[in-house]
Amino acid sequence: MDNAKPQLMDRPKAEAKHAASETSGAALVSALDELLGVQADVALDAVPVPHRRVERWKYTPVAAWWKDVLASEVQTVAAAGCEANPVPGLDAYRLVFVNGTFDAAASDLPVHTGVMCMPVSQRGDAPLQSADAFSPEESDWFAGLNGRYSQEGLYLRVAQGVELDRPILIHHHTCGAGVFNVLRHDIALGLNASVKIVQWSTAAAEADGAVNVLTRADVGEGARLHIDKVQDEEGTVRHIAFEDIRQGKASQVEVHTITVRGAWVRNDLAFRINGQGAHAELNGAFLPGEGEFVDNHTTVDHRVPHCTSSENYKGILYGKSTGVFNGKVFVRPDAQQTNAYQQNANILASDMASMNAKPELEIYADDVKCSHGCTVGQFDSDALFYARSRGVGLEAAKAMLVHAFIGDVLKGLAVTEVRLEVEHRLAEKHGWDVWSDHLNDDA
Amino acid sequence: MAYDGKDKVLEEVTGKSYEFGFTTEIESDKAPAGLSEDIIRLISAKKEEPEWLLKWRLEAFAVWQTMEEPNWPHLNYEKPDYQAISYYAAPKQKKQLNSMDEVDPELRRTMDKLGISLEEQKRLSGVAVDFVMDSVSVATSFKDKLAELGIIFCSMSEAVKEHPELVRKHLGTVVPTRDNFFSALNSAVFTDGSFCYIPKGVRCPMELSTYFRINESGTGQFERTLVVADEASYVSYLEGCTAPQRDENQLHAAVVELVALDEAEIKYSTVQNWYPGDENGKGGVYNFVTKRGICHRRSKISWTQVETGSAVTWKYPSCILKGDHSVGEFYSVAVTNNAQQADTGTKMIHLGKNTHSTIISKGISAGNSHNSYRGLVQIMPSAANARNFSQCDSLLMTDTSGAHTFPYVEVKNPTAQVEHEATTSKIGEDQIFYCLQRGIDAEQAISLIVNGYAKEVLNQLPMEFAVEAQKLLSISLEGSVG
Repeated sequence: MDNAKPQLMDRPKAEAKHAASETSGAALVSALDELLGVQADVALDAVPVPHRRVERWKYTPVAAWWKDVLASEVQTVAAAGCEANPVPGLDAYRLVFVNGTFDAAASDLPVHTGVMCMPVSQRGDAPLQSADAFSPEESDWFAGLNGRYSQEGLYLRVAQGVELDRPILIHHHTCGAGVFNVLRHDIALGLNASVKIVQWSTAAAEADGAVNVLTRADVGEGARLHIDKVQDEEGTVRHIAFEDIRQGKASQVEVHTITVRGAWVRNDLAFRINGQGAHAELNGAFLPGEGEFVDNHTTVDHRVPHCTSSENYKGILYGKSTGVFNGKVFVRPDAQQTNAYQQNANILASDMASMNAKPELEIYADDVKCSHGCTVGQFDSDALFYARSRGVGLEAAKAMLVHAFIGDVLKGLAVTEVRLEVEHRLAEKHGWDVWSDHLNDDA
Repeated sequence: MAYDGKDKVLEEVTGKSYEFGFTTEIESDKAPAGLSEDIIRLISAKKEEPEWLLKWRLEAFAVWQTMEEPNWPHLNYEKPDYQAISYYAAPKQKKQLNSMDEVDPELRRTMDKLGISLEEQKRLSGVAVDFVMDSVSVATSFKDKLAELGIIFCSMSEAVKEHPELVRKHLGTVVPTRDNFFSALNSAVFTDGSFCYIPKGVRCPMELSTYFRINESGTGQFERTLVVADEASYVSYLEGCTAPQRDENQLHAAVVELVALDEAEIKYSTVQNWYPGDENGKGGVYNFVTKRGICHRRSKISWTQVETGSAVTWKYPSCILKGDHSVGEFYSVAVTNNAQQADTGTKMIHLGKNTHSTIISKGISAGNSHNSYRGLVQIMPSAANARNFSQCDSLLMTDTSGAHTFPYVEVKNPTAQVEHEATTSKIGEDQIFYCLQRGIDAEQAISLIVNGYAKEVLNQLPMEFAVEAQKLLSISLEGSVG
């Protein structure tokens, strides 16, 4: 079967355009055209502007997006007043982007044989990978926005057999009002190359605007790519992130998405497994607090036989928050011997929280093992009772259960310092003293 | 052993154009093709309906005109031309055959395999039935017995005339006309269906089935069923039949509404075996059904379905758990073979406190078919301590078939417990090997394994149905060893 051509499952479902959304979308586009200039000729009228009748956006309100977009000022870390390295103790190469501009002073680019790592703006004539029929740009309006306006991001090429000695930390920072922070990271790993990337997003408390990050990675045969993605944004920033990952034979890709804080966050991961023997791992934890919204969409497209994928998303929802999980596993007709696993467990920790989950399987091959599980529940009252009968306060007991609940996701993070910092920030946000006891265990 | 689509009983039977069924219709009794207010007035007039029902139909029609046919299901079919369909035809006369010898031998073999009794076979194939065993007389004797208990069980047209207050009170309360495209269409043009009312505290002594009134009148393609179980009553209702059913109406858009008042229980079982079309799915029935029940306090609605027929199935029997402590259940086996497509599942909407729901769905895909489970579990903020367990398993018989799962879980109450799990697999080669070793041939082994796989659901069916359904599963999958 020719996997290059869209098949049955790719057939476009004509989704209705919604007049009011189209108008708002068009207004945003014309404002952005004027502010940023069109970087790539990406037409946006082929896909509907998101609204709740579009299946992919059923649970995700986008009204906040249509606020006025102002010129994003060129900013540096120094001007923004944030620390260059958000992860204490992490020894990593660094690329810092503030409001979508590269901050050379705060960055520390690797000088390493076989590695080209630089901001997109400095790559010269080297081409970026282009979008194709399966890329998010073709199916999602916001990804289209990214394609149209992005001009900066990470440009990374790792040659055959090169294993980068330290992780690359990409730090996105947003500050000021009315910011449109758009970035595109372009990654290609050669045969048996290996690299760890940390994507860390922060925003200042007074920040307001939108962040739109698209990461495109082509992972060659036998290569390994680990991405630890942490979102800890204050202010009222809307964050949307796309991952467009293509995996070659026997490659391994892991993406760990941890949402610590964020008024409105949407992660949209798409994995295409093009080579036999490849493994994809997608893990995530989200702990939205009062008024926050977190949406995790994932697609794993098994196109060839003998591949595995594993997905584990955990959510704990506090205050008046909303969570969304949509996991999709495709197994194409020829992808026999696929082993795909998907798990999503959620805890509603308050009366006002709500969770919408949609774990999907679409399977067109018979010799496969595919399963998914999804649960929504609350803290185990027996476990709480056990802890309390031993003198642990209710809140502390809950914090302990949270630690256990998301522990397997946190353990999966590729970089230990990232895990420790995530735990520290979560404990700080939610006021869990009890967590500090665990911080330096099994580091 | 790949599916070869040849020399198998069911293929032969269902692949043939149907020569034995209905006589050609008399033109004068058929409304012209197309749908308009005039046609609806004509239907209403022919059925001598009261003014309120006509008004209701016209409102539904107005709503329908503003709606679009859904394209969200995981189905690929040519959308019917709604203006090319004739919406009213007088009940069809079956051609009477003189003896079983005139019946298509292949059809007979299928029925024998299903274990359908000779009398039943005669009735199904349109053979004149022995006077003593006339199903009308049997039906009448049942009717007397039901009447004694105050149970009303009749056709919808009859109910509109004789029990207008009941029909008017409940019709459209569970599935509002504007609910969806097909329910609006059905509300505008429905021709007949069944009505059932169980009075307070009565436990219906027998399984109610449309079997009993088969000789009354054909129900047509837009069937409307309403079952009302008054407080603390119980009824078990059977719909459909295991024998292959042919129908020249390609489009079927039925609506079923169940009302379970306080402490009532309704068990609704369906076996659907409409003509699935030829190997390429040509000519098969489109089955677009809206089924929904509402549960009041401490009541229970249980849906059980065995879906083996139709070229395209679009069907989501649902429960609105409105009353506290109410229970909803959904048990389903859906088998698709050849080019069949099914998008089926359920919706459990929890509104009341301590409401429980269970969903067990077993999909089996063979040939080039696609079988999707689509379900919604919704826990509203008022549904404290709601509980749901969903399990949907898929079995793939061939490498050209597909099994898909689209579950929606929406939880807005922190005391709810919702679990969903799904698996997809094929029949293990070691399982088949085990059977072969013990002298059970591959075909029987498949039947054995599939029946074991679907047992949880089949067990929910009333006894006589369950036996036939098991055989039906085996026949539907004949020759589909993957």
